[in-house]
Amino acid sequence: MTSPAPSRAVAEGALPDRAPRPRAASRPSPLPRFGRLVADWLPALPLLAFALLLLVLPAARLLNDTFALRAGGYGLGNVQKVIDNPVDREAIRNSLSLGALQATLSALFGVPAAWLISRMRVAGRATWLALMNVAANFAGIGLAFAMVALIGSTGMLTHLLGVSFPATSSFGGVNIAYLYFNVPMFVLLTLPAMAVLRDDWWEAAQVCHATRWQFWRRIGVPVLAPFTAAGWLLIFTWTIGIYAVTYALASGPQSVKLITLQIGSTLESSVFGLERAAVLSVLLMILAVVSTVLYRLAIRRATRWL
Amino acid sequence: MTRHRLGSRAFLLLLAAYFALPLLAAFLYSVATRWGDSALPSGYTLAHWTSVFTRPEVSGALGRSLVLSAVALAIDIVLVVPAAYWSVVRNPRIGSVVQTVAVIPFAIPWVVVGAGLQLVVKDTFPALFGSFWLLAAATAAIAFPFLYWAVENSLLAADAARLSEAAATCGAHPMTALVRVILPAIRGGIVSGSLLVVATAMNEFALAKILTGTRYETLPLWAARQFTSRTGNDPNALAVITIFTFGLLFALSALVVWLGRGRATASTMALTRTTEKG
Repeated sequence: MTSPAPSRAVAEGALPDRAPRPRAASRPSPLPRFGRLVADWLPALPLLAFALLLLVLPAARLLNDTFALRAGGYGLGNVQKVIDNPVDREAIRNSLSLGALQATLSALFGVPAAWLISRMRVAGRATWLALMNVAANFAGIGLAFAMVALIGSTGMLTHLLGVSFPATSSFGGVNIAYLYFNVPMFVLLTLPAMAVLRDDWWEAAQVCHATRWQFWRRIGVPVLAPFTAAGWLLIFTWTIGIYAVTYALASGPQSVKLITLQIGSTLESSVFGLERAAVLSVLLMILAVVSTVLYRLAIRRATRWL
Repeated sequence: MTRHRLGSRAFLLLLAAYFALPLLAAFLYSVATRWGDSALPSGYTLAHWTSVFTRPEVSGALGRSLVLSAVALAIDIVLVVPAAYWSVVRNPRIGSVVQTVAVIPFAIPWVVVGAGLQLVVKDTFPALFGSFWLLAAATAAIAFPFLYWAVENSLLAADAARLSEAAATCGAHPMTALVRVILPAIRGGIVSGSLLVVATAMNEFALAKILTGTRYETLPLWAARQFTSRTGNDPNALAVITIFTFGLLFALSALVVWLGRGRATASTMALTRTTEKG
């Protein structure tokens, strides 16, 4: 098997968006229609039932609980209550700006990094890939601890440089921690796309007396933009949904308010009623669905050049 | 050397420092005797590394995480392999349905999956509320796409449709073909998919926190409790577990990349996904 074009690997590795595979052996079956239907699906039924019960049903239940009113019937009462709650409004605003800021910063650092790494020789590229893998693997509670040990009020770098960093439980502190895995993630996502921009194109542009600026303006940016957009969308969605690091850093009362933390604390205390968790969960679900659709559009546009 | 070249070198250097420093700080904490108000620890020791794992709460949490990983992996293998096999050799529409469902754990935050499950279980199956089996099933559910993608890819690479046809021509029962012909051919895919499932289960925090909480304290839950408790926390022990968990995940990831050398990009991607949501 020849190795697939790198950006197809992005499309395939990231989302199940693959080309139809050749139809498997369709042998004529003597079974009646219903029997054939069962035979076609039977080995997959346990998995499908399992996924239905543990993934689809909970999502449906959240949708139901969002609109089901305590007094009976359906309406927007629960949604209205969340909109009217200043804490929830703040959490939604913070989560959205955190996602957008993280995705933008990741692209800002990630695109040049991926470009430089893609143009390295084999040894350098392998080293950097390993480093990116290291960083991307260092998430969760451990990262929160390491960040506090580094830039907390008595952290290593705080002493070394004699400066005070933003508190790790603040918006700024959470941003510093998140970038640690989002930048490598973005690099790993866009690295294959950098191979799409072929060196011949730069040579061809030079033959036509194009300047470096013109090359990037007319060829580089238009080709890479959809890949960057796709990476931006994934980082945005994933960032909003992160829970572990966030819980460790910002579950205190004075910390930055975020949607996932509100969901978690509502489920644990149940003071406000679980509808609140349902409404916020559905909001995250809607964001995920919208950005997945946009992601697919971006990937389709990006792979035009292959 | 042009200014352009210098600039990019400085940029990469800063990036490397940013990635190395937090790890270094955590590592130093794990070998420090005392680390008060200074940039570096006042002395070094390996005592934390030897003592942490003998503490019953830590070894218990580690054991619970391992049991959870093993059970989730067993569930996933039993469910995924037959489905992927049938999808490749008989009915491709299975693949499309599974890929659609697989978008849920891929795109939707695991906190949300946990919240939905909590609501369903609370009314419908109260006996499962807070139980280990609920957590194991939920972990298996969010991790199954990694195994499915890996197994399906290796089935396609091994041309399983033709293999099983050949086996059938030789008179083999479909079950025999699966066990004797197909499984050996896709061992690599099963192993790398399994490593991804284990990495997910070992590091998973959101579902464990929401679904079982203190009733089944996994290693990430123990770390979170240590970290957030203002009194009586032991930063050196937490540092040891931090570096240990990191080393474990990195070893798993290196193994997956090494196993899938030809398709390294896809596996790296899948792996980063497992750790991102934590």
